Amino acid sequence: MAEFFNTNGFLIVSMVLAAMLALSLYLPLMAGQLSLASPGFYALGGYIAAVFSTKVFVTDPNQPFPIPLVLLEMAVAGVASAGLAIIVGVPALRLRGIYLALATIAFVEVLRVLSLNLDITGGAVGIFGIPQPFTTQIEYLWVVLPLLLLSMFFVYRLERIRVGRAFTAIREDELAAGAMGVNPTFNKVLAFTMGAVLAGVVGAISAHFLNTWNARQGTFDASISYLAFVLIGGSRTFLGPVLGGMALTALPEVLRILSDTGGLPPWLGGFMKDGRLIIFGFLLIVGTVFLPQGFVTPALFERRRKPAPPPTTPTPEAAA
Amino acid sequence: MIEPTVSPASGRATGDMPMVEVRGISRRFGGLLAVNNVSFSVQKGEIFGLIGPNGAGKTTLFNVMTGLIPATAGRLIYQGQDITRLPPHRIAAKGIARTFQNIRLFGNLPALQNVMIAQHVHTHSGVITGVLGLPSDRAEEQRTREKAMALLDLVGLSRRAHETAINFPYGDQRRLEIARALALEPALLLLDEPAAGMNTNEKHELSAFIRRICDQFHLTVVLIEHHVPLVMGLCDRIAVLNFGQLIALGAPEMVKNDPAVIEAYLGAE
Repeated sequence: MAEFFNTNGFLIVSMVLAAMLALSLYLPLMAGQLSLASPGFYALGGYIAAVFSTKVFVTDPNQPFPIPLVLLEMAVAGVASAGLAIIVGVPALRLRGIYLALATIAFVEVLRVLSLNLDITGGAVGIFGIPQPFTTQIEYLWVVLPLLLLSMFFVYRLERIRVGRAFTAIREDELAAGAMGVNPTFNKVLAFTMGAVLAGVVGAISAHFLNTWNARQGTFDASISYLAFVLIGGSRTFLGPVLGGMALTALPEVLRILSDTGGLPPWLGGFMKDGRLIIFGFLLIVGTVFLPQGFVTPALFERRRKPAPPPTTPTPEAAA
Repeated sequence: MIEPTVSPASGRATGDMPMVEVRGISRRFGGLLAVNNVSFSVQKGEIFGLIGPNGAGKTTLFNVMTGLIPATAGRLIYQGQDITRLPPHRIAAKGIARTFQNIRLFGNLPALQNVMIAQHVHTHSGVITGVLGLPSDRAEEQRTREKAMALLDLVGLSRRAHETAINFPYGDQRRLEIARALALEPALLLLDEPAAGMNTNEKHELSAFIRRICDQFHLTVVLIEHHVPLVMGLCDRIAVLNFGQLIALGAPEMVKNDPAVIEAYLGAE
């Protein structure tokens, strides 16, 4: 077991990180806002952690990087993301649907080009040699797993309180929500900011985890991946993005392991190993066509909670 | 049953001040003057009817009064305050609630949630304390739920509280919209064709129901309706719109015999 965790440490932590990034997209979606800005805030958070840990907090390179400083960087990344989200969100959230998605893609692209050209972000090379707080990758779970549980609890509760209800009202009918006293602009920016904070915090810990940080973090590709996590996992309950993010991150690795199974025709094994992206894309299409609400839907839980009503017409056995 | 709650807004109104004053409101859509310099005022406690042929500008006037579309000209005075330029949620918070002609419920949500959402301005639970579920937040949540349930009971929908609103029959959807509007604790309730699609029997029930909630919640009601007997029997005063213009205003009997109204409805002889 320990062997399994140690060899798959990178994958397991990546799955947890993906789950949180999917949640960061799910939060604005709760208020009906299709925002693809998460990778931008993820990149921002990562650069903040990278710059702080390599240039501001200079520590003994032979000692593990202090964990309180990592947490401090995560907090700074969260605050910075919140600030940027409000500045970007107030004008951007006047746009609706596909136009908002386009504007947020542009936002991610602007940040990417900025990071490629600024000195502080290390240009095209990026920032490398980010100090490690842990000796093995699996140990990152000590930070990311509580963070995931915390964010899941947050979203779970949010869906059951006044603010979450206001988000849902805007998702259902923005005009009617306004007529019922819900301030659409405020709540949309709030939902967008919550998602940005989560993405920024995840970016900060990811910078340590990945050891280097450059403009390849937080790109348009990432936007689409996170969207796939949410759409395939399910966009109507927070468990959808979490499970979607984990499953789709693990999928390529699972396929790679499966392709090594003995007895497989070589062409099939080769396809599973090299054709991961094809399988991934195929799943995206099939998933959205046949499961428009995703794999995890709220109905799934309702059915389990409420037992099926007894049949009203007695069966022959019951009558006898 | 719910105790009649007097919201601070309605308590402040004096006897002389009208509940709402429409002062020369116009609304233009391109070349079409949908509402043309309409003025009237509605007194506190009145049931005020707004009638007119299709396309006369009744719903446009409602949309202007609730801030959903801005007025091209004119002013709206609600309990002495100018609300002409306020956004919809601020107007709602001041105590003006409405229903929609083409029902606009939160369709995918259960009936109970629909009514709970409309209590937004009367609840204050924040993000952090709400997520943590502090005792005061839990108590507020419980009150919100109970009040929503009581309102559903009032409109006779408490047994379907957990059903999705979009699955309700048409009449029930209209009643759910009224329950949702009442959750705002309004002083002024705007009903846009509340009897649309109802049979005669249901219309009689609705008429009695509007009277009852009007007394119970100390409401002032403005309603748009096509069914003339219902309007004549229910309303204290009636305004008639035709091609965006106010052509008659007064007590039902007076309006009924007004030549201009007869001409608008039946055509010139």
